[in-house]
Amino acid sequence: MASAALPALSPALLEQPAVRVLSEALGENLLGATDFRGEVAITVDRKAWLKAVSLLKDHPELDYKLFLDLCGVDFLDREEEPERFVVVLHLYSVSKKRHVRLRTPVPEADPKLPTITPLFKGANWFEREAWDMYGIVFEGHPNLIRLLTHDAFVGHPLRKDYPQGQRHVLKEPRKWLLDVPHESEHLVINLGPSHPAMHGCFRVQALLDGEIVRDAEAEIGYMHRNFEKMVEARTYWQVIPYTDRLNYCSSFMNGHGWALAVEKLLGVPAPPRAEAVRVILSEFSRIMDHFVCISTNVVDLGAITPFFVVFRGREKIYELLESCCGARLTVSYVRIGGLAQDVPEDFVARCRETLDFVMDAAKQMDELLTRNVIFTRRFRDIGVMSKEDALSYGWAGPALRGSGVETDVRRDAPYSGYDQYDFDVPVGTTGDCYDRYLVRMEEIRQSARIIRQALDKLPAGPVIVDDRKVALPPKSEVYGNIESLMNHFKLVYDGILPPAGEVYGATEGANGELGYYVVSDGSKHPWRVKVRPPCYNNYQAYPQLLKGGQIADAIAIIGGLNVIAGELDR
Amino acid sequence: MGVLDILKGKFVDPTYAGVHGGGDIITTTVDAVVKWGRKSSIWPMPFGTACCAIEFMALTGSHYDLARFGAEVLRFSPRQSDLMFVAGTIPDKLGPVLKTIYDQMPEPKWVISMGVCASSGGFYRSYHVMQGIDELIPVDVYVPGCPPSPEGLVAAVMKIQEKIQTSQQAGAPQGAHRVGANGEGMYDRRARRAEWAKDDAERRAAGLPPRGVLSDLKPEPEIDHGAHHG
Ligand code: SF4
Repeated sequence: MASAALPALSPALLEQPAVRVLSEALGENLLGATDFRGEVAITVDRKAWLKAVSLLKDHPELDYKLFLDLCGVDFLDREEEPERFVVVLHLYSVSKKRHVRLRTPVPEADPKLPTITPLFKGANWFEREAWDMYGIVFEGHPNLIRLLTHDAFVGHPLRKDYPQGQRHVLKEPRKWLLDVPHESEHLVINLGPSHPAMHGCFRVQALLDGEIVRDAEAEIGYMHRNFEKMVEARTYWQVIPYTDRLNYCSSFMNGHGWALAVEKLLGVPAPPRAEAVRVILSEFSRIMDHFVCISTNVVDLGAITPFFVVFRGREKIYELLESCCGARLTVSYVRIGGLAQDVPEDFVARCRETLDFVMDAAKQMDELLTRNVIFTRRFRDIGVMSKEDALSYGWAGPALRGSGVETDVRRDAPYSGYDQYDFDVPVGTTGDCYDRYLVRMEEIRQSARIIRQALDKLPAGPVIVDDRKVALPPKSEVYGNIESLMNHFKLVYDGILPPAGEVYGATEGANGELGYYVVSDGSKHPWRVKVRPPCYNNYQAYPQLLKGGQIADAIAIIGGLNVIAGELDR
Repeated sequence: MGVLDILKGKFVDPTYAGVHGGGDIITTTVDAVVKWGRKSSIWPMPFGTACCAIEFMALTGSHYDLARFGAEVLRFSPRQSDLMFVAGTIPDKLGPVLKTIYDQMPEPKWVISMGVCASSGGFYRSYHVMQGIDELIPVDVYVPGCPPSPEGLVAAVMKIQEKIQTSQQAGAPQGAHRVGANGEGMYDRRARRAEWAKDDAERRAAGLPPRGVLSDLKPEPEIDHGAHHG
């Protein structure tokens, strides 16, 4: 962990372009830099915050253009940190395929920091969230009001001295999101929070001039169920069920990402068989997620047949998951260091059968939609997102690739052995709804390709690491000998004890880059976990996509962004 | 039994006390027929917010097929429905919305609370999650599970049908006395840490090891995992 007075940076660190450029430009305002588990983290003084961020973004050698995440961390009275709060920014460079973490300490007495919204549009909600959760004031922010919690809320809940269960009752919802002039003749409508086409609880308020949307503003937080506060009181494996409920259309992938992040922190990789099974089930989950996204999107536009076709396929995938772990939706199948148990004996045959069925459904959907005139007219040139804006908003996954940015965590920073598989990364050209749809359809085919390859060379062997500090011993041994019983007891009682440090574990979720930023203080509970939820960034741009368009297109656009409330609000 | 049978006077409902039989003619009451009609054509309104809503889709899909119970006409408008399915977590921010929607439903109305989140806050015992929707609205049937299986929901719908037939309806919000009740973990971390530090210092001064710290034990000798000793 970076300390305040780092005398000199080691030569190895200075070889990192980001560290070199920043240390040359900032001088003593660069407080420190670390390289932990292959991740570069740079700490700067808050005086140099803006300068550092703009350097990272615009310096030709660095080119960190993709905004990933911004969050606060409360270190309370931990001695190794100079100040109570730290604001952490994660950026990614698509051209250099590099990732960086920029931190700056913020004192409790004067928790202020200049806003970076002029540099990254996506920072808007993240800064609001940091204010909401920690009370860090971002000077110059256009709209620093509560985002996730409600208006009657008192205090900043993610501060360590805020009691976890302290509730406040809301009586009246927020009426106005927009500034509507008193004599305005425009019509104000609310889409959501409970709206059949919104697929979850989020809200948009739009100002209509006839059918044209003149202005729009979004509000979230209706599904804010405190994932990040809850997990601070849980051990590392107790977090797994909570991750299932982030993006509940592809639960397995969230647990996969969490396990990888913790394994990275521990430095304990899972065995090859576990990784291969994880890849297979993750890709099935991706297919399932894309199915739900596309089919419900077109249901809202009046085409219900694809829904029936692909939901049969989805039910098949559920059955596959159920045969592995006994649960359909909330699977909790991964463990830190592997999987809960081995897959059933006929797993490979089952997967092949399921895959054939599913791909048949995908083909039918393709035939029903891709060249359908009504569909293409509703989808083409709607909700166009430029490449620059997509990067600046920090879009992710199919939405980002639909806008023509060629990036995929599976290919650019392979995890779980994705480098052994052959697959393509589809990208769009115009960034409209139709492109996002095409990217999703192609990703379904690519996922099938990956699954077939993984099935062909599914390795034998254990599915969980044989490390008694990470994984529970097998039950037969627990009942059979005293050491295993003790190991079992100690692991359950003490929990997994990772080294102190911070990691950012990124995986390519169905919706895009799903990141877990984990801060550990060496104890059995994570000190801080921040999820970088892909659809949060996507949804943030939604009002912009609406403006100037028809109100009817709002429904076509929202479906293509695939906003999942559980992941959006955590 | 079809409508024609009722018109012909053949309707008999053994569960309803007001039905008399006599000779070839079976008499019934308007009340019984209305209830029978009501229970066989429930129009549910799904108030789906989270993961449970995804399982709810399975209930209405072809496999579990809610249509067998005459309840397949999902209405997303509360004004046209008589059964509300609350499927998913209800955070405090959504509370007023839930109440408004419930109030908009015409009488008589029933509520199914689907899943542990809606019933009790589930495993989100924290600062922004309502600890059960019965803080705000009366609930007729609670379905456990996270998420409940579709079979569980079918059972719940049958329970509702029973309630309709016997004119039972939850009156007031059962958990009204719990409004704003706190979730778990009401400690202030800073205060707790200070307390522990003080306690530790006292024990140290008295020459005792810190309290309750397992990892303070001496490290175990390396164990050979391969060996089995009965
Ligand atoms: S009960 Fe479980 S599945 Fe249902 S909403 Fe709550 S967390 Fe999700």
